[in-house]
Amino acid sequence: MNSAQISIQIIVTLVAIACAIPGTFLVLRKMSLISDAISHSILLGIVIGFFIVEDTSSPLLIFLAALTGIVTVILVEFIQKTGLVKEDTAIGLVFPALFSIGVILISKNANDVHLDIDSVMVGDLSLAPFDPLLINCQEGIADSCINLGPKAIWVIGIILLVTLTLLIAFFKELKVSTFDAGLAAALGFSPVIMHYGLMTVSSVTIVGAFDAVGPILVVALMIAPAATAYLFTKDLKRMLLLSCFFGVVASIAGFWLAHILDASISGSMTTVLAILFLLVYEPIITSIIVSSIVGIGMVLYQYYDAAILGGVSFEGYQLGEKLTYIFSKFVFLDYVYILGIAVVMAAFLIYILPKRGLIYGYYKVRQQKTEIMLLVFLLHIRNHAEESERHVKHLNEHINWQRLRSQSIVDLAKKNNMVTVSADNIISLTEKGADFTEKAIDYIITNKDTEIEEMKDDFFLFRG
Amino acid sequence: MEEKYAITVDDLTVAYNYKPVLWDIDLAIPEGVLMCIVGPNGAGKSTLIKAILGIIKPIAGTVSVFGKSYAKQRSLVAYVPQKGSVDWDFPTTALDVVMMGTYGSLGWIKRPGQKEKKAALEALEKVGMLPFKNRQISQLSGGQQQRIFLARALVQNATIYFMDEPFQGVDATTEKAIINILKELRKAGKTVVVVHHDLQTVPEYFDWVTFLNVKKIATGPVKDIFNDDNLTKTYGINYKVSVQE
Repeated sequence: MNSAQISIQIIVTLVAIACAIPGTFLVLRKMSLISDAISHSILLGIVIGFFIVEDTSSPLLIFLAALTGIVTVILVEFIQKTGLVKEDTAIGLVFPALFSIGVILISKNANDVHLDIDSVMVGDLSLAPFDPLLINCQEGIADSCINLGPKAIWVIGIILLVTLTLLIAFFKELKVSTFDAGLAAALGFSPVIMHYGLMTVSSVTIVGAFDAVGPILVVALMIAPAATAYLFTKDLKRMLLLSCFFGVVASIAGFWLAHILDASISGSMTTVLAILFLLVYEPIITSIIVSSIVGIGMVLYQYYDAAILGGVSFEGYQLGEKLTYIFSKFVFLDYVYILGIAVVMAAFLIYILPKRGLIYGYYKVRQQKTEIMLLVFLLHIRNHAEESERHVKHLNEHINWQRLRSQSIVDLAKKNNMVTVSADNIISLTEKGADFTEKAIDYIITNKDTEIEEMKDDFFLFRG
Repeated sequence: MEEKYAITVDDLTVAYNYKPVLWDIDLAIPEGVLMCIVGPNGAGKSTLIKAILGIIKPIAGTVSVFGKSYAKQRSLVAYVPQKGSVDWDFPTTALDVVMMGTYGSLGWIKRPGQKEKKAALEALEKVGMLPFKNRQISQLSGGQQQRIFLARALVQNATIYFMDEPFQGVDATTEKAIINILKELRKAGKTVVVVHHDLQTVPEYFDWVTFLNVKKIATGPVKDIFNDDNLTKTYGINYKVSVQE
């Protein structure tokens, strides 16, 4: 790793954390789209600032940009309060208007300066390490400045520090005003102040991250880690920590992905963020797809490496030609290898990931069905003392189940030591079975669940 | 004999987009009553509570709590919003929600500590929700969520309690449990104001009633003014309720 690579990774880490914190609250307040609006309309502030001071690195730019962010929020709320349109429509009306003014101003007046639409749209991380913060420069003397390292680190570092301080100081206020604005107001914590505080922090963060990742990807960095963390946890502090973690992991992984693919850093970061979200949301399918791609990539790389070592020169080859060459070397064993990697990785990912997604959902519904069946069965046994009703064969007719199902239910009950089956196939409840049935009935009838609490961990039936 | 009023509302008018939803309300709530506010949908019942608590800014009129403005008397007042007004998928636990009740006395920046936690646990115990203290709030039933809200108000240890439809969507057991706690509060000399929908239970639960439909129709002791005449005036149609003695 060279120092530029290290610098970029420090920058993306800081940006990821600085974005994840306000992003978490935006997601919880169902205001994710406002970050999109702010990130676009600040362009106007940046352009106006640039025209005033003619310098892209002036703090005035950051101030004006953040101000435009706040103006965006105020305008959105103003339009929304008329009651004529809903919030999403108001957002859709405001930010394109402000953004387009910025675009017009750039194309009219700033054609020959370093403020082009391209770098404005996706940021310019790869150049960030070469823009150092220089202080104590003396006029006319070359190399007299003290180099404090990349400026982006300082800018985003200071923003992050302020954000963290505010978060720690006002955590409780943020929490209560996000969860229950009415209560916050009644307790004297003005939700309006908290709202605009959060909007200010979001605006400043977006401005700080704007240079590095651009207006589109900064939205991904604010929303995707928080949305992913939201699927994972049900605790606000942990959600904050997790979204920072996801943001950082995705950013650094994205940086290396960009390095390998020789592609845009911010684009790769966002791709990794999207994959992370999909992994958590739908772990099984995503992990199979991702692991297969990784497997294929590994085999391809192995061939590429071997070919180069073997003296094959790829100079002048197009990417397609390289791939054709490598694929031509494919043998049956490679497919097995890829499949193997895919299975192992998928199994691992499914194992470590939380229990969500389609397949798990299906499993859960089936499980619930079985539990209800079990309960019906146990109830039947409890309610009938006469032996004729408790014969294994009789169950088929009485509870009207198919033979296979009643057999599996009896097996399940037996496995849990809830029933015993005598030699002549008469079923009776064990003490544990009777106790369980009693408690379950009690719970279903009274809905009072102090007793059932400990049982809930083992059974889906009694959960939500 | 001069009665002591917990809440005095003078000439209160509240408007949304210049359309009045509360019109020139004068209301005095005596100390120590268990009062319900009844009226049809859109009558401004919730708005009245929110205006008293300063959550909504009225366009005219004043509110005072024991003779002073609400902002000065915040610590005397607890508020239970409508259950549906918050997102129960918020990542937090029952205990944490109850702890929020202590934030008011803590003020800005200061964090809740052991003392606040103990108070919150006691409040949870009172509403019978102690076994659920670490339960994620989305995993609670509607009645349990309402109890959590009630516990959050109890932990404030206030003198006046405002509750916005605490019986909405709860089962009979929870309703009984809640009304018992409200009656205990009144016994302890607290003033309780409840937005209520079920007219049948008014005489059984409350001793004071306010009829509201954009304007105030009537206010007073249930036994004196809870009659068909006032109900008809409030609900428009010829409303009859069989009052069980």
